[in-house]
Amino acid sequence: MRDLDLAVPEGSVYGLLGPNGAGKSTTIRMILDIIAPDRGEVEIFGSSDVIGARPHIGYLPEERGLYAKMKVAEHLAYLAVLKGVDRRLAMAAARKGLDRVGLGDRADDKVESLSKGMAQKAQMLSCLLHEPRLLILDEPFSGLDPLNVEMFKELIRERRAAGATVLFSTHMIEDAERLCDRVCMIAGSRKVLDGRVADVKAAQGQRDVAVQYEGDGTFLRAPGLVQRVADQGHYAEIRLEEGADAQDLLRRAVEQGVRLSRFEIINPSLRQIFIEKATEVGLSAEDESEDEAGAPR
Amino acid sequence: MNPFSAKTMAVARRELMQRVRTKWFLIGTLGAPILLVGIMILSGLLMASSLNSSDAAERSIGVVGEDDLLEGLLVEELLLDSIVARAAPDLDGLSGLTLNERFTASDWDYLLFVPRMEAPQEGVTGPVQVDLLARDNVQGGTTRQIGGALDRAVLRGLLSYTDVQEQEARALLRSGTLDVLNVSESGRAQSQDVFQGLSIGIATLFYMILILYGQMIVRAVLEEKQSNIVEVIVSSLRPAELMMGKIVGVGGVGLVQMAIWAALLGAGVLTMAGLGLFEQMRQAGVDLAAMDLPWFDLGISLVMLVLGYLLYAGMFAGAGATVSTEADAGQVMLPIIMLIVLPFMAIQGVIVNPGATWAVVMSLIPFFSPLVMTARLLLSEVPAWEWVVALVLLVGGVAGMAWLAGRIFRVGILMKGQKANLPEVVRWIRHG
Repeated sequence: MRDLDLAVPEGSVYGLLGPNGAGKSTTIRMILDIIAPDRGEVEIFGSSDVIGARPHIGYLPEERGLYAKMKVAEHLAYLAVLKGVDRRLAMAAARKGLDRVGLGDRADDKVESLSKGMAQKAQMLSCLLHEPRLLILDEPFSGLDPLNVEMFKELIRERRAAGATVLFSTHMIEDAERLCDRVCMIAGSRKVLDGRVADVKAAQGQRDVAVQYEGDGTFLRAPGLVQRVADQGHYAEIRLEEGADAQDLLRRAVEQGVRLSRFEIINPSLRQIFIEKATEVGLSAEDESEDEAGAPR
Repeated sequence: MNPFSAKTMAVARRELMQRVRTKWFLIGTLGAPILLVGIMILSGLLMASSLNSSDAAERSIGVVGEDDLLEGLLVEELLLDSIVARAAPDLDGLSGLTLNERFTASDWDYLLFVPRMEAPQEGVTGPVQVDLLARDNVQGGTTRQIGGALDRAVLRGLLSYTDVQEQEARALLRSGTLDVLNVSESGRAQSQDVFQGLSIGIATLFYMILILYGQMIVRAVLEEKQSNIVEVIVSSLRPAELMMGKIVGVGGVGLVQMAIWAALLGAGVLTMAGLGLFEQMRQAGVDLAAMDLPWFDLGISLVMLVLGYLLYAGMFAGAGATVSTEADAGQVMLPIIMLIVLPFMAIQGVIVNPGATWAVVMSLIPFFSPLVMTARLLLSEVPAWEWVVALVLLVGGVAGMAWLAGRIFRVGILMKGQKANLPEVVRWIRHG
């Protein structure tokens, strides 16, 4: 990673986007002090004492596993104890958590006896039981079946409702678009974009409007307002001039007595932005689309 | 960093509980003593049959040596047990290999070689070591009978010097006066002795503990990698805490195992006492109560074992962190195991000459001292400074190894796939 400057506001859901190999996991590991950056520093909860902050962080790495020979509840309790939770409380929390995800009756079975989906649930719980203030999740939904994705999202929402900050990495842009307040895009070991999702979209300056109309289409040819138009007679897609307001176009249409059945500002999707940005730094996004096609939604 | 932080202990506790609860632990812990007791009973039965039978009275026994006084006393004392021993003029004046060769060619069944008994200086005497030469294994009863007579003879001999205290003389006797040498056709002699047996037994035990528990540590480290969990773990605690926890936990398994064995031994002793077996043994001439075990020396070697375990555990943990597969683990463990095998092999030589310069040097080097110093302590008088220096060096070695292994472990534990090569490991140590 080079010159990455990242600020995650407390209480937000922050998405770390980027193609595979962009450096998302590396960034996360540096945040957690699992690996040391060559230079630069990390602050968590406004303090550079990352080690001290660890009890309040819940981390789920991309490659996740559990000790096969351990009993499920004991295992989860053990991980919570390592976060500083009292052993008995940890055990109670583990059982409660397992009940919550429907694994209550498997609490005393060994991890190796769980099905893949069950193990995934246990892994989700493993980063949540100590009620962390900061959740760091590396590709949290990759490999999960759809039911588990929904369950995990719900568990994350619950944590967030309790005031926790969530930082997660993903290459599934739709997830980020739906879940995140803020995103940071990394490509080629560099940050290419950072900010609130709405701002990012706005900053992209994509000014596309879809119009379904009846009547005179001349309002579409407004110099200074419309840059380019694809008119199909009753439906047109318009790109506005830089700095132009779609509202002006709407007013013009009304003034000219055109009847509108649809007037919609088409938001550029993060996906589009992502692909543009990734291509800008010379990285093809092809492998991304492949990944996404294969990944369960 | 506190090596025994709450997190370290949490790791150790898991490690301990996971291992102690398996059925293999149960089988191993109960199986080993059952096997051991079985062997002991078997050899006890064999011994008992030879304990009570002595062929000394029927054999032709020759006496040669450098000390006429002791020779005379020995012959007298043997006669009290109705054993006839005669001077062997045909072998007189010979020693070493020549004596051994001539003996095997002679008509004598047994030959006693009596060395010169040193005159005491300031009331202190050196040990007297009489050799019993024989062609085959000597029955226990025979050794005991001749040994008993010899003890009495040596005691009388020592007490004939006015300034020797009886206590001092008796203490000397306990260190054993009779060496049984089985002389083969080639004239080579092999020795057998209680303390030699004890030191070989303890060395074997140490050797097995170091290797078995060392391998357990490597497996414990591999488990982290293979179950894909290490990243979560090291996001919660320092790698050093994880390593220390594993070492303490696996060591704890050993302690639990030994505690169980000690309890079983205690129960066994009580049972034997209840059955009156000790009384029977005493009558048969084996008085365990009179066996003067060097408790202090055993205490030192126990401390050395614990330190030696920590030293090797650090090495095994560091080595385990550089690999990801069982096959690679076997490779990196090999040199460490060699390091444990080396002193174990050396024990044979230490037994022959516990005071040899190389033995002294080896007994000071941290990697070897737990085994070699233990053997030397049991087999000879070791000057206090030697074992103190060995202990100090061992403690230093443990600290150094903890540092070194910690640095390797820190980087290695996160590595996956191929095993790290030496230059890589050196880089980890430098930059770790």
